[in-house]
Amino acid sequence: MNNRVECIMLIDDNKDDNFFHERVIKKSNAADTVITKQSGQDAINYLKTLNGSHHTYPNLIFLDINMPGMNGWEFIDEFKKLDEQVQTAMVVVMLTTSENPDDQALAKTTGVLADFKTKPLTKAMLEDVLEKYHK
Amino acid sequence: MSYIKHSDFTFQAIVEATPNAIILVNKEGRIAYANNQTEKLFRYSKTELINQLVEILIPRRFHQHHPDFRTVFFASPETRTMGSGRELFAIRKDKSEFPVEVGLNPLVTADHTMVLVSIIDITTRKRAEERFRLVVESAPNAMILANAEGVITLINKQTEQLFGYARTELVGSKLEVLIPERFRGGHPEHRSHFFSSPSVRSMGVGRELFAVRKDGSEFPVEIGLNPIETDEGNVVLASIIDITERKRHEMFLALERKNKELEHFNYIASHDLQEPLRTVSNYIQILEEDFADQFNEEARHHLRIIDRATKRMSILVRSLLEYSRLGREQKLVSVNCKVLVNNVISDLNGLIQVTKARIEVEELPLINGYEIELRQLFQNLIINAIKFRRKQVNPEIKVGYKRNNENFEFYIMDNGIGIASRHFERIFHIFQRLNNRHEYDGYGIGLANCKKIVEIHGGKIWVESVLGAGSTFKFTISNFQI
Repeated sequence: MNNRVECIMLIDDNKDDNFFHERVIKKSNAADTVITKQSGQDAINYLKTLNGSHHTYPNLIFLDINMPGMNGWEFIDEFKKLDEQVQTAMVVVMLTTSENPDDQALAKTTGVLADFKTKPLTKAMLEDVLEKYHK
Repeated sequence: MSYIKHSDFTFQAIVEATPNAIILVNKEGRIAYANNQTEKLFRYSKTELINQLVEILIPRRFHQHHPDFRTVFFASPETRTMGSGRELFAIRKDKSEFPVEVGLNPLVTADHTMVLVSIIDITTRKRAEERFRLVVESAPNAMILANAEGVITLINKQTEQLFGYARTELVGSKLEVLIPERFRGGHPEHRSHFFSSPSVRSMGVGRELFAVRKDGSEFPVEIGLNPIETDEGNVVLASIIDITERKRHEMFLALERKNKELEHFNYIASHDLQEPLRTVSNYIQILEEDFADQFNEEARHHLRIIDRATKRMSILVRSLLEYSRLGREQKLVSVNCKVLVNNVISDLNGLIQVTKARIEVEELPLINGYEIELRQLFQNLIINAIKFRRKQVNPEIKVGYKRNNENFEFYIMDNGIGIASRHFERIFHIFQRLNNRHEYDGYGIGLANCKKIVEIHGGKIWVESVLGAGSTFKFTISNFQI
């Protein structure tokens, strides 16, 4: 893939989905590394530990909505508390089963989400998101 | 004589001491005696009154009949109040009138009969009554005054309006005429129970109360009861509120709440059902892509069937979600149905060409409705009309409408396979299909959507059909105001 990035993070409590999406990313050759987190809290904790470490931030985050504990919306609230510089280093895309227009409308109001995609992740979807990312 | 004198004196002392005006009138109608209170009340001196005809104290308009009344009284003298049932008036020296209550007592002596007349000025009482009447009249609710026997003695304008009776029809009638027949029997008992321990309370606590109009129509009411003590005994002032609107609103709110719950349930259900389905699909994909060489053709065939069934279920689940969201948060707009139907037809051009369908669209009205949903409604019905065609018979479809008093009635007529009458209801239920999937593809969702769309437009949908000859789908749309 032309517009490939270094690192993509998947946040989803569903292991089967993470496995499947990671496979799609790898097969599409869209990223060097894929990091999977099974809850919003794990993901936020991970992003906080990156501060000052030699690891780089993921370029792209695919975020599920419905997760036990910290759900997608609550993750975004926490994400907004990170340093602005850190925030702008990443693009967050909602990736969910929800086709609920209410969720789509809400997604537009967060100011953080770059896109709203419906599962499952496909190669075409990745191309679309990465093209926008590089613009 | 001293005895008589003493008696005269006693009589006079008593008469002068009473707070009422008292006069003594002889058979000829002349005033023989008047007490001090009479002087005060009528502003004549005693000398001005003695020997005058009693008519001097009565307004002129009553003079004509008074001598007759007097003759009647002297013919059978007995103690009674004067002019029962009529309003009595007296007149002062200065010609001012005032309402009175008059008591008559015959005094029979050896030589003649006289009448002792006691006159009470009831101006204050009348004024209080009038004030009470005015308060009742101007109350925003229907108010009814009734006595312990349940006879209506006073009503206000709101009562006339609410029940459709004229005042004269109700006053003097029993309260029970305002109660639906099935509750009438128990009412006298409730009433005597109330009068045995009168208190301010609402009527029929815990029961639903209904009233009935003159035209026989019933309506739900709330009734407040206020006991009032009067000279004529205990009466009750009932205040009646028509709660039709409130009931309707409560029902509407309950329905809205139910709908919200159902919608939420549908959303959750379709979302949570979608997840495992997607996982099945995803992993079939992995099997096909990564393990294709390990399956033989038969196994791959089975995989395709699993995949197809999964996708079908996914569509069904999504339809359920879409169904639950029909008409939600949409705005009523003015819709030109002719333009809308023509747009639908041009979208279906491919299907129309392939099936050689002919669609005739008559004049269609401008209506207020939910545009996206109306479009889906016409589209579903037209697609059905084409889809359920007879083999070897080109579809002939006609779309039209007629204007009823309160709504628009549309029809979509076809010459297709028709529907047996026993299925007329069933076809509008979600996921109901009549035909074999191999012959006529579908999910059983189109007509269920149509039904819901029509219902959110305040209408009804039904089908008229002859099996093997064609169907006509008809639906109504309310004449909504924007």
